[in-house]
Amino acid sequence: MQREVGSLPLAPALRAKLVAAGFQTAQELLETGPCGLSKELGISKEEALEALQVVRQECPGDVARTAGGSGITRKCTALELLEEEQAQGSIITFCSALDSILGGGVQLTKITEICGAPGVGKTQLCMQLAVDVQIPECFGGVAGEAVFIDTEGSFMVDRVVDIATACVQHCQLIAEAHQEEDHLKALETFSLESILSHIYYFRCRDYIELLAQVYLLPDFLSEHSKVRLVVVDGIAFPFRHDFEDLSLRTRLLNGLAQQLIIIAHDHKSAVGDVVQITKSEGVNHTISHYISWLPRCAASSCHSKCRRY
Amino acid sequence: MVVLRAGLCPGLTEEMIQLLRANGIRTVVDFVSSDLEEVAQKCSLSYKALVAVRRVLLAQFSAFPTNGADLYEELKSSTAILPTGSPSLDQLLDSGLYTGEVTELMGAPGSGKTQVCLGIAASVSLGLKQHVLFLDSTGGFTASRLYQILRARAEDGEEQLEALQRIQVVRVFNIYEMLSALQELRDRLSQQVVSSMGPLKIVVIDSVSAVIYPLLGGKHSEGLAIMMQLARELKTLAKEFSLAVVVTNQVTRESSTGPLKPALGRSWSFVPSTRVLLESKEATWEKATTQRVASLAKSSRQPTGIQVELDIGNGDVQELSPATLTQGL
Repeated sequence: MQREVGSLPLAPALRAKLVAAGFQTAQELLETGPCGLSKELGISKEEALEALQVVRQECPGDVARTAGGSGITRKCTALELLEEEQAQGSIITFCSALDSILGGGVQLTKITEICGAPGVGKTQLCMQLAVDVQIPECFGGVAGEAVFIDTEGSFMVDRVVDIATACVQHCQLIAEAHQEEDHLKALETFSLESILSHIYYFRCRDYIELLAQVYLLPDFLSEHSKVRLVVVDGIAFPFRHDFEDLSLRTRLLNGLAQQLIIIAHDHKSAVGDVVQITKSEGVNHTISHYISWLPRCAASSCHSKCRRY
Repeated sequence: MVVLRAGLCPGLTEEMIQLLRANGIRTVVDFVSSDLEEVAQKCSLSYKALVAVRRVLLAQFSAFPTNGADLYEELKSSTAILPTGSPSLDQLLDSGLYTGEVTELMGAPGSGKTQVCLGIAASVSLGLKQHVLFLDSTGGFTASRLYQILRARAEDGEEQLEALQRIQVVRVFNIYEMLSALQELRDRLSQQVVSSMGPLKIVVIDSVSAVIYPLLGGKHSEGLAIMMQLARELKTLAKEFSLAVVVTNQVTRESSTGPLKPALGRSWSFVPSTRVLLESKEATWEKATTQRVASLAKSSRQPTGIQVELDIGNGDVQELSPATLTQGL
């Protein structure tokens, strides 16, 4: 329990006061108690109490630890991870060539980036994925729901209707060919209305809305636990224009990336994001550099032979 | 900056502390650096008692000097050199990863840092039968890839499964979680709890820049402070428990055509003792290549500028062509 005060997630001003007062470890803080703390630092009792709560959360007592309390850290051996990965499904794209490059489909718990020139089909692919994630398990899908975050306004509902109708027809043909009980049962709930109602659409007009949406997403996902796909269409678009402070942009993008990684991992969903490739070298080069270190599960699919100039 | 408290050492009573505090002496440093005769007069305490307390405090809080010969003997007996699984990389690192030191792998996205880390984990777990702690902050750890690497190196299925069990993976997605995980490790090692964690010799952190980048920059020096906290934690872990610490880092450029330099700035550059830069050989979309070039950017043992070729492809991290030695300027 010798956690240093400097490494606890407290407000900077509070931390500075603690260090100036000579507190070094979390143990000392807990021993002093809220009254002593508020007297020594000159802060209110409520603030002291809040700070101690944060400390207690970060440093669970020895009892909790030996009892196997690993709730905060996500720990497991590589063997357990392997078993988990092998049991996981992936979202098929209905294009066998693409599925084979991606190793079975778009993988869950990972982030996949789709980049290409304008008009090449990125949004179409994303809409296809939003429908495919809902395919029932007996047909080989993951039976999940989808979140679609749109920054460019390119989401066309009538196109989704076409895709969904085709998907339902395809499943019906499979069911007719195989004539199994669970296929027919699944088809009762798998219809155009249900598909459309399980795509949750968010429109973000600038980078602030995008950041807010992504940071609020975990709460949304804990209410809608069946979501298995999050698509961000146009992740670089809001950051491309009017950003004078480049270091701020880096920080925001990095924070956004980490948040998406957390969402993908904790909610066992796939996150797909779309990056535009344009011909202007300077801006695009920097943006795609920052974006492209979101881990890719396989290759990022580039539909066009367009090179980066 | 330790505050004087009752019971800190025998002879330091509560009334003594109150009297000292009334005269402006709050911390150990204040006490030890003040003139004791003056203090005895002002606080009306016995001089002998104060001297006795000072002696105990000095013994408790100061560092022990040691001479070079003893240090060398200790180093010889406690340092181990861990193979990375790739003979050419071992050559670059002067036969492998040294325990007690922090080694950094840096490179652009897709240059192979995570692959090399997986190779290292596989090599230590399979070859040395030692436990590995893998802190993953990017979500890039893929157990199936690790399994592939193990399958290429060991024939026996039992051995592969055992090796997988010896690698513990912790997912930490922000800096506080990372510090918390390292603290847990420290507690476990210092109490020597005999649990699933057997003899641990290496900690791999992939990547350090992912958790620190969102905090750096801007007007507050908050990010810098927490980065240094992490640096100190890593170095003391490495030294105290004889661990090899491997971290991965990003690279940035000054301008769009400038040379690559490691991310996280100058303050972080003092932390690792060895730095290896990984680069792709040819960057084209058509030809998928598994060839990488590793060059030594910072080392206390070898001349910098040495380059070797690595293959991070299917199977194992293996050398494909003899190492090329190019002396740096």
